[in-house]
Amino acid sequence: MSSSAEHSAEPLKDRSERWGGLGEERRSLPPSRTIGIDVGSTTVKAVIVDRGGKVAWQDYQRHNTRQAEKVLEFLQRMETEAGLSPGADRVFFTGSGAGFIAPLVGGKLIQEVVAVAACVEQQHPDVRFVSEIGGEDMKTIFFTATGTGRSKQVYMQSACSGGTGTFIEKTARKLQVPGERLAAMPYEGMSLHKVSSKCGIFAETDANTLVKTGVPVEEIIASLFEAVVYQNLATLTKGNTPSPDVLLLGGPNLFFKGLQEAWRHHLTKLWTQRKIDLGGREAASLIVVPAEALYYACLGCVEIGQGEKPEVAIYQGRDKLAWWVETGQHELKAKEGARGLVASAGDLATFVTEYVKPAAGRSDAAAGARHVGSVLVGCDFGSTTAKAVVLDDDRELLFSCYALSKGNPIEDAQSLFRQVREAGYTDVGALALTGYGKDLLKDVLGADMGVVETVAHATAALHFYPDADVICDVGGTDVKIMILRQGTVADFRLNSQCSSGNGAFLQGVAERYNIPLEAYADRAFEAKAMPSLTMGCGVFLQSDIVNQQRKGWSAEEIMAALAAVLPVNVWIYAGQLQNLRAAGRKFILQGGTHRNMAVVKAQVDFIRGRVPDAEVVLHPYSGEAGAIGAALCAADWRKRGGPSHFRGFDTIAALTYTSTTSAQTVCKWCPINCTRTFIDVQLPGAKGREWSKLPLAPGWERVISGNSCPKGLVEDVNEMRVVKAKLEEVKREYPNVAEMVRKDAFRRVTPAAVAAE
Amino acid sequence: MRSAGSPPPPSPRNKLRIGIPRVLNLWNTHQFWMGFLTSLGVDPRNVVFSSDTSEEQGRQFGKGRGTVDCCYPVKCISGHYGELVFGQKQKLDVLLSPMIYNLPSFLSGHVAKTLTCPRVMAAPENIKAGFIKEQDAFAEAGIKYVSPFVSLDEPRLVPKQLFAGMREAIPGLTYEETATAADAGFRALREFSDRLRKKSREVLEWCAREDRACLMVIARPYHMDPGIGHEIEVDLQAYGYPILWMQYFPIDADLMDWAFGEDIRAGHIKSAFDIRDVWPSSYSSNTNEILWGAKVAARIPWIACVIRMSSYECGMDQPTYTPVQQIVERSGTLFFSFQDLDSTKPSGSVKIRVETITHYLEKYAAAIISRKKAAAPPGCPLRPAA
Repeated sequence: MSSSAEHSAEPLKDRSERWGGLGEERRSLPPSRTIGIDVGSTTVKAVIVDRGGKVAWQDYQRHNTRQAEKVLEFLQRMETEAGLSPGADRVFFTGSGAGFIAPLVGGKLIQEVVAVAACVEQQHPDVRFVSEIGGEDMKTIFFTATGTGRSKQVYMQSACSGGTGTFIEKTARKLQVPGERLAAMPYEGMSLHKVSSKCGIFAETDANTLVKTGVPVEEIIASLFEAVVYQNLATLTKGNTPSPDVLLLGGPNLFFKGLQEAWRHHLTKLWTQRKIDLGGREAASLIVVPAEALYYACLGCVEIGQGEKPEVAIYQGRDKLAWWVETGQHELKAKEGARGLVASAGDLATFVTEYVKPAAGRSDAAAGARHVGSVLVGCDFGSTTAKAVVLDDDRELLFSCYALSKGNPIEDAQSLFRQVREAGYTDVGALALTGYGKDLLKDVLGADMGVVETVAHATAALHFYPDADVICDVGGTDVKIMILRQGTVADFRLNSQCSSGNGAFLQGVAERYNIPLEAYADRAFEAKAMPSLTMGCGVFLQSDIVNQQRKGWSAEEIMAALAAVLPVNVWIYAGQLQNLRAAGRKFILQGGTHRNMAVVKAQVDFIRGRVPDAEVVLHPYSGEAGAIGAALCAADWRKRGGPSHFRGFDTIAALTYTSTTSAQTVCKWCPINCTRTFIDVQLPGAKGREWSKLPLAPGWERVISGNSCPKGLVEDVNEMRVVKAKLEEVKREYPNVAEMVRKDAFRRVTPAAVAAE
Repeated sequence: MRSAGSPPPPSPRNKLRIGIPRVLNLWNTHQFWMGFLTSLGVDPRNVVFSSDTSEEQGRQFGKGRGTVDCCYPVKCISGHYGELVFGQKQKLDVLLSPMIYNLPSFLSGHVAKTLTCPRVMAAPENIKAGFIKEQDAFAEAGIKYVSPFVSLDEPRLVPKQLFAGMREAIPGLTYEETATAADAGFRALREFSDRLRKKSREVLEWCAREDRACLMVIARPYHMDPGIGHEIEVDLQAYGYPILWMQYFPIDADLMDWAFGEDIRAGHIKSAFDIRDVWPSSYSSNTNEILWGAKVAARIPWIACVIRMSSYECGMDQPTYTPVQQIVERSGTLFFSFQDLDSTKPSGSVKIRVETITHYLEKYAAAIISRKKAAAPPGCPLRPAA
């Protein structure tokens, strides 16, 4: 293949000329004008190429999920502004949303990668690699010179938001970066931070963390560009080297200056590494973003279309499409819909008798004063709320309370114990903690044990249902599935990374409709039919909801649908549990989200649909299960004769502490550099931390908060050394065979040793 | 050792630098290769194993040379190759990446076959493609790539296979010295295994004497790689539990007879290493050992808990999940698995799982040991004679 530079780098200034030339050479003058329309995931683009091969009209606009409406508007404008005429001109469609639109106006569908490749081949004979990034998809095309021409290899992905335009825009919106500013933001010279490249939701979380720690928005955006290029190179090159010349297409590549810079940076580096011969040309000049980057698919449609027989794809006018927009799509709504959450009045009645119980009886506040003897206390320090329960020696629930977490675990604990004492329970026989705060607070409060969440939840469930097989706990921000065997949690799935399947999402939608969460179930049960929403990532669920609303589904119908899709998200998407039957037959539902009866109904139907003989029960203390489980473990401790370490209400109420947030508390374990807070608590007998950069005198205990992963609980290298030394001691005493393999198996035997044999 | 008639080597063997990727079944044939090469006159200091697998290694050396494979233990080899080709201060002359067809398992002769996973066996071919697809990265770096096909469970074939596969890489190689070197390799590997089995026995004897619990890991050999198994068992070890791996379980006659004698006499199995009672299609070496590991763990009272590890989408492991779990659990032994391991250590979930496991171990281990002891035959050789 010729590697001369003459065709490579220039934008398509002379396209019309070339187009015309091509028309004359290959075929007689096209009988009519050819229209190419690209209906993408976020925008509609169209061009009209006239008989002479000149572009007579072009435009692109966002469709905001109204693809058909936008195409209709474009056709109308093309008729009035450029004289598009039915029965004469020809129209070719491409893009992910074009499938059902094309036949309505007599158009012909062309696969999008084929279209883009056709245009590139015709315009850029020297291009070897194309990256086209769209709103919700990404593609790469590799051209390889063969004896007769070029062969091409195409990779694309559209299942995940990672690496696409949405990935950048969604996070930029969250950071309140307006579009124009985003477009101009640079990549070169910025320090980069770790942002998950795989998923839009994870990236947003990472970005939030970065913002919290004071990283400038510019650096976060540059890191997003980095992540997109990395994701494209990592998933869509499959062992091929993107060689020059390179063409970058699609909206994000055209509009975001920083993204172009990121490509230039990475490709140039790659070419140097792989010693690619650039023929003495400047690397940066071999990476081209044509001015018409948006229209390549449209132009490719035209290119292919002109090779089609003249009677193909004659434009039939807008009537059918207009009918579809006004009537057709709404008729489809009825056909697509599933039955409602409840099949009949009888179905609802059966469900209500079985599951809707009056709230479990709770002793009044004064009961504590009448209680004689010591009590067992369990606390659950979660990420959003802290809860405490009080049990008597017979393990009966006496009292429960909660505190909304304010980010300082000491204050949360003080609030809980104030409430317990006010309720009249003053003699604590044993105390156990669970949840994120358990390790931090164990010594400070004088708890007898810290219980891992899985064990706490399982203990609570097994106490009420000794034959339980599976626990499904759906909270506000996380989902836990625990599979029990031999009285233990044999397996579990936790998901706190993904918004699909958790309660917060339901709440968000209810709020959008101005419906209080308590009324959610009643409204959802009213729906006689509901749309089927697609299982999966929250980003796509959001746009799916917008789409269904547009089709005319009402608030209660959408709420019903959302409740119905929740079990699918919980078990299959978040839990990755395909085979419910293998997990067991007795299912316990708990966690705050199961207070919503619409969710419970959907769960029951879903589980019974897969395990027909399943027994599905709702935990009587749905929200407090963790704290109850901790209290039950405390009961075991007491039964074994363990002494209570409880520091007492007065000590807890009077805890003296200082908190420090400074450069010295920043976590250095990974590039995220969380800004942690050190809460130093005065505690008789505590060892202090004399080795620390922020030394702590004996008699003080340090509690670390504000870290985003368990690693951050270790203060720094100094503490790591202390921890490691202790660990090494344990390891010497309790050997691990694999450590011997790691240490010895790859050791090089000396020739002398071999000779000695 | 070199036969007298062979021509003088173009570059002396004691200067030859040979790189070997530390991957897959190198994790259970390591010392064979050391013994083999050393016997051929290669200076052991010139044998370079790539580092443990890490994401960093993959990013730095393997990026863009990836293969379409869901098996991370295979996929990560691009990084190992890259490290050996591009990441050495002192350049290598040879990259040795054997295609191991079958393995010298301690179950050989008692099972149908000891084959490696086909995907694992062919991995060198798969990974090589990413390095020669556009340009020959080995040739450019002046490295001779050799990938001998070798049946390590058929010692009589090995000299022929290794002679054919390595004569281009080792100057002046003769068949005779290859045969001697192969023997040296097997001897080195056997000695290593024996030493570790002895260690394992010491651990078990200590447990029996003190009535303390230990844990056994059932996994494939490469799960010992910190980048693949993520050292999950170390987190459990830190709680004060010795960790055994079934690959190096002591197989002394007294212990085997105590554990399996009854089954042999009852005619369920023909020997202690026969797994036909639980796994009739005993073709895959690593899989066979996994099933055998479950059987032995079920029988030893002080193994209170089995930790199973397997990698994401492992088609070889899939059918073993249920039988292994059932064999272990039926004996009253705790069973926990870490499945779908991939490139990143899921630290948060590992931490919770480890705390869950240690909670139940603390609660149940003593009862498990005494129940298993009650069910076991008398005269356990792990305990001092009463």
